[in-house]
Order: sequence, then C-alpha cells, then structure tokens
Amino acid sequence: MPEALALPAPRRAAGTARGLGEGAAGWLLAAPATIALFLLLLGPSAALLGLSFTDWELGAPELAWIGLENYAELTTDPVFRIALSNTLLYVGVVIPASIGLGLGIALLIEGGTRLRATFRAIYFLPVVSLLVAMATAWQYLLHPTIGPVNKLLGMIGIAPINWLGSSDWVMPSLCLIGVWENLGFVVVLFMAGLTAIPRELYAAAELDGARSALDRFRLVTWPLLGPTTLFVVTITAIRCLRVFDTVQALTRGGPNNASEVLLHTMYQEGFTYFRIGYSAAITVVFLGIVLVLMLVQTRILDRRVHYG
Amino acid sequence: MTILTRRAALGAALAGTLAAPRILAAQGSPTELVVHYPMPAFFKDVMEKIAEEFAAANPGLSVRYTAPSPSYEDAVQQVLRQGVAGGLPDVSFQGLNRLRMLVERRLPVDLRPFLEREGDVAAKGWTPNLLGLGQVREVQAGMGFASSNPIVYYNANLVRRAGGDPDNLPTDWNSLIALAGRVQALGDGNSSMHFRWAGDDWMFSALLYGHGGTMLAADERDVAFNGAEGLASMRLIDRMVKEGRMPAFTVDAALQAFYAGKMGIFSGTTAYIGSMQRSIGRDVDLRTTKMPVIDAEKGRLPTGGNAAVILTRDAARHEAAWKFVTFATGPRGQELMTRGTGYVPCNTIAARDDRFLGSFYRENPLFRPAMEQMPIAQAWYAFPGTNGVRITETIVNNIARVVESNATPEAALGDMANGVRRLLPR
Repeated sequence: MPEALALPAPRRAAGTARGLGEGAAGWLLAAPATIALFLLLLGPSAALLGLSFTDWELGAPELAWIGLENYAELTTDPVFRIALSNTLLYVGVVIPASIGLGLGIALLIEGGTRLRATFRAIYFLPVVSLLVAMATAWQYLLHPTIGPVNKLLGMIGIAPINWLGSSDWVMPSLCLIGVWENLGFVVVLFMAGLTAIPRELYAAAELDGARSALDRFRLVTWPLLGPTTLFVVTITAIRCLRVFDTVQALTRGGPNNASEVLLHTMYQEGFTYFRIGYSAAITVVFLGIVLVLMLVQTRILDRRVHYG
Repeated sequence: MTILTRRAALGAALAGTLAAPRILAAQGSPTELVVHYPMPAFFKDVMEKIAEEFAAANPGLSVRYTAPSPSYEDAVQQVLRQGVAGGLPDVSFQGLNRLRMLVERRLPVDLRPFLEREGDVAAKGWTPNLLGLGQVREVQAGMGFASSNPIVYYNANLVRRAGGDPDNLPTDWNSLIALAGRVQALGDGNSSMHFRWAGDDWMFSALLYGHGGTMLAADERDVAFNGAEGLASMRLIDRMVKEGRMPAFTVDAALQAFYAGKMGIFSGTTAYIGSMQRSIGRDVDLRTTKMPVIDAEKGRLPTGGNAAVILTRDAARHEAAWKFVTFATGPRGQELMTRGTGYVPCNTIAARDDRFLGSFYRENPLFRPAMEQMPIAQAWYAFPGTNGVRITETIVNNIARVVESNATPEAALGDMANGVRRLLPR
C-alpha cells in the first residue's frame, strides 16, 4: 500500500504543482485585464441591472427592491412606447437609406478616375465633425422662415415646411440628418471593401458572359462585398440605435414627444426626473436590443456572407 | 446602518470618480468658502467680481468657485449627488423652483435664525416679498440672488410697417394679438409672434397667474388650473395661434427669427435682454414692455431666477457662508449682478438707490418693465413630490397640441388635468 501510494504521489504532486504554478501565473498575467474588464464593463453592467429592480431616485436616502415593477411600467408608459417606435423607425429608415446611397456613391467614386481622394474626404467630413456643432448648422438650414432649405423649396413653389417644429415633420427631419451623418462612414467602408476585390475576377466574369455592369455587380461585386456589408450594417445599426445628440440639441423630444427616442427618454428619466431605477430599466432594454441585434446579424448573416 | 452603507456604495458607484476630487475640494481652509453656481454664460463674470470685492471687504475670508453647472437642472443634480456621495459646497446658487426639491431632501440650512440676528431686514433691502422667493413652506431655504419675470419684446421696425405705434405698444392681449396678425400679413417671410410656451410651465403660469389662477388647490392634493382661469389661459394661447397666426416654432427657431429681424413680437423672460442686445441685427429697433395685464386686481406673474443656499453642515463655517450670502444679495452684490446680466435685483436698496442701480434703470429703458413688474411677481410654483419635472412636461405637451391645432383648448386642458392628477403624490 505505501509503495503503491508512494509511486504516483510525487508525480501527481509535481504535476499539480506545475499545473498550479502555471495556472497562478496565467491568472496573474491575466489579472490586470480581468480586473479592468470587471471594474469597467461587467461591474457597472451588473450594478445597472441591479438598479433597474429598485425604485432609487437620485438623492433619495433609501431605495427599495421592487422587482419587475419598472419593467411593468415600461409596458404601459406611452412615452416609452413612442420612444421605442421612433427609434425603430429611425433605424429602419437610416440604415437602408445610408447603405443604399453609400454603396451607390462608393461605386461611382471608385468607377471614376479623378478626384477620388477629394470626394472621399468630402463625404467623410460629417463623420469627423462634431455633431452637436453641426446640429446648430442644421437648425439654421431647416429654419422654417429664414432657412435656406425652405427658401430653395420656395423657388420651386413648395410652401415652407416647419421641419423641426411640427410633429409630422420632426422625425423625417431627424432621419434626414441621420443619413447625412452616417453616409460618409458607409462610403469610406465600402470603398475600402471595393479596392479589396481582385480585378481578375471582373475579367473572368466578363469572359464567362457577364457583359453588363449590372451582371458584374450582381455576380462579383455584391457577393465579395459580403463581409464589408455585414460590418457596415452592424456598425450603422448600433450608431442609429444610439441616436441622441441631434434630438437633445434640436428638439429635446418635442413637440409633444413626437421626436422622443430611447436614449433621450433614458436621459430624461434619469437626469431630469431623477428616476435612476426606471432609467436603468430603459438602459437594460436598450442593451437587450443591441445584444439581440448583434446575435441575429452575426448568426444569420454570417452563414450567407461569402468570405472569398 | 445597512441602508447607510448601501446608500454610500450606490452613491459612490453612480457619482463615480467625479465625486472623489470634489470631496477633497470641499475641505479647504476654514476661511476659504467653496461656492457653486449655475449658468456660467450669464453669471461667470459677475461671480468673479463678487468674490473679488467680498474678499477685499472681509479680510481673512476668500471664495473659491467649483466648476459651474451649465443649467439649473444640472446644478440641482450635482448638489443632490453630492448630498449622497459627499463633497457639498458651502454655498450653492440654485434655481428658485428647485428649492422645494432640495428642502424635501433636507439639504439647505434654514436661514431664519440668521435673518433674526440681522435685525430690521427690510431696511437692508430684503422685503418680505423678496424673502418669499427663497422660502419653501416654513423654511427660509435661500436668499433670492437673481430674479426674472416674463416681458414682451417687440421689433419696432416691423411694428411700424404693420401700422402699429412703437411708442404706444399694446397693453392688453386683444391689441397684441391683433398687431401680431398684422405683422404676419406683411408676408416676406415675417412671422407674427412667439410666446415661449415650450421648455417648462413658466409662461403658462404667467397666463394662469395673470388671470388670478393657481396651479394646485391650497392643500396641494388636486389640480386647480383646470378652472375658468386655466381655460381662459388655454383659449388665449389658441387665439395667439388662430388670430395672431403664431407659428409652431421651437424656442430656438423663434429666437433666431427674432434676432434676424423676421419676427414681430417675442414674449419670454427678461433674462433674454443681454443676449438680445448682443445677437439682434444692428438695424432692428428693439423695445420691451410689461406683460399685458389680464386681471388688474388678482393678476400676478411668476418669478424665475436663483437663490443662494447654504449647504455646509459645519456650524463653524455658517458665519462665513452667511457673510458671503448677505454680500451677494446685498446692495453692492445685486448691483454687480444686474449690470452684468439683466436680471432684476432681489434687494430694494440696490434697485432704488442712485449709489447702486437708480440711474441705471433711468438710462436703460429695456430693463425697466421687469423691474416695474416686481410688485406683482410671485414665486414660480414648484410641484410637490418627486414628479415635478414630469408634471411640467405634461403641461407643455398638452399646450403643444393647442399650438399645433391638434386639440381644442378644452380637450387639451382636460387631458392636462388628468395627466397631472396621476403624477401628484397620493
């Protein structure tokens, strides 16, 4: 018995010691990143989730655990419903519009021979400019009486439109600004994707009978742009879901909540109404939507994307 | 105890790293007062001057300002956060209708004992009316520092073109609305008027108080604005739209049109005077008048502005803090404030005495209407409970329906009353 134990014991001890040593070293090396990950991402997210189950108000001395009450209130809150549908409308309009236009412009610039860098820079300008500052410019452009947009429309006999002040026009106006804001980003990404397509493929396609430009686009460009398109859709979707600064700078959700969007409602509830618990619940919903969107996009699109 | 630690942990987590330097910042030397104020665009220069003169007049005392908050909302949020996480300033300037929220959170030091020691406060320029600006129920939460009330701005060029007399501007709503309609009829991209109804309930309360109405019943358990006075106010807004042809502009769009000389009448706070003078087109002849009187006897107007609040719990610092507050709200401090901003002084000596602002008001007629309206100015009503801002939004949103002609005044007022009732504390 003693011998039987004695023999494997040192080997096992040595093994575990080495394993432990390696494990410890591994953990030690990973510790800074792990701690940072927890402190900066997981910890706050957990705190957020925890807060969303409470009725805490900023400055209130106590808080109580109210379970799912905040979420129950969300389902009946008309403002939240407007904000959610406005945000989805915004995403639904701005993504296809900016991707369709962006791809078209990228193809035109790429197909042209001169001034490529100039055009790329021009279209990218809105992305690098500060949106809040640009919002002021938009406010002037879209001003109902002294704005150039209405003056131009007036020349062709269209009556002045109250772009940001009327509840019918405020969302279309914000979507328009959203497309303008995202277009340059999309153009630059698509142009990068286009340059990565090998020229020979076009020649080969032409040999195989793809005579028209449309055929070549359908058979070569579009499939090979798959990975780029996936990336662009994901990034644009998240950028659109996060719409906040134009709303805060231009309309503050008005008139009569007509331009309320998810993040603005969250901000209002948390930092104007001080209802941190309720605001946390909205943020959880927002994070949930982003997460679902990411999963759907990577799962479904991944399968169809052609990684040439 | 468990509540305390949980609360502290939560506060620290939320206020985050921002709070830490403030905790340190608040512990200056005993003679260095830490003071916080909002809206640096209006008040920065004024505050620097007040601190300078205060230090010169009080050897051994000095003032250090923390980073100013951009708005009243931000200012009250900051103080509420600090109330939880620590690091409150000694003195903070807070919006008059935010005082109630601070008192409900038991943050301000009651100033009544300090006032009692001052003796005859009316002789020092603080009349009961002015002290009332800083009172919440029985608590003297702060001392009024800057006050404003609603006035009417006119573009005299457009008034003239519309057949009006700039030296004889309307004093009642009927003639104002008629004039507005005539300005709109000028065409050429000119808009008639804007009544600054969006943003908060302040301008609505101007009409409501003007009719002699109140927001809530005396016991604050039910709404009172849905009576005859409230209905008359909503109908007046409806008439501004239908007869005065008031377009549904955002406040920014309206101000831009007014600055550009393309709007005849703008009605809003007197605090705009400074920015109006800076931004308005050079060829525009700007005039101001008092708000048209609605009920000559019962009519009142709301007051905006801010008050100095003492927040430090350290009794040893109270004396120094009080000295600073009385300097800032005293004649000299108020003179500096008015000259620098256009707000109305909260001290009668500052306003009347020629050593302070007496001659200023004679030479600057634009500032006079707000000053002359002070006798009928009363506190901007702050709703009870925690839903104050939400109630304000409900009121504004229902006014928006009338301005967009999507609802009749009667329907909008009914929805407004029901919406606000749900938000009052039960």
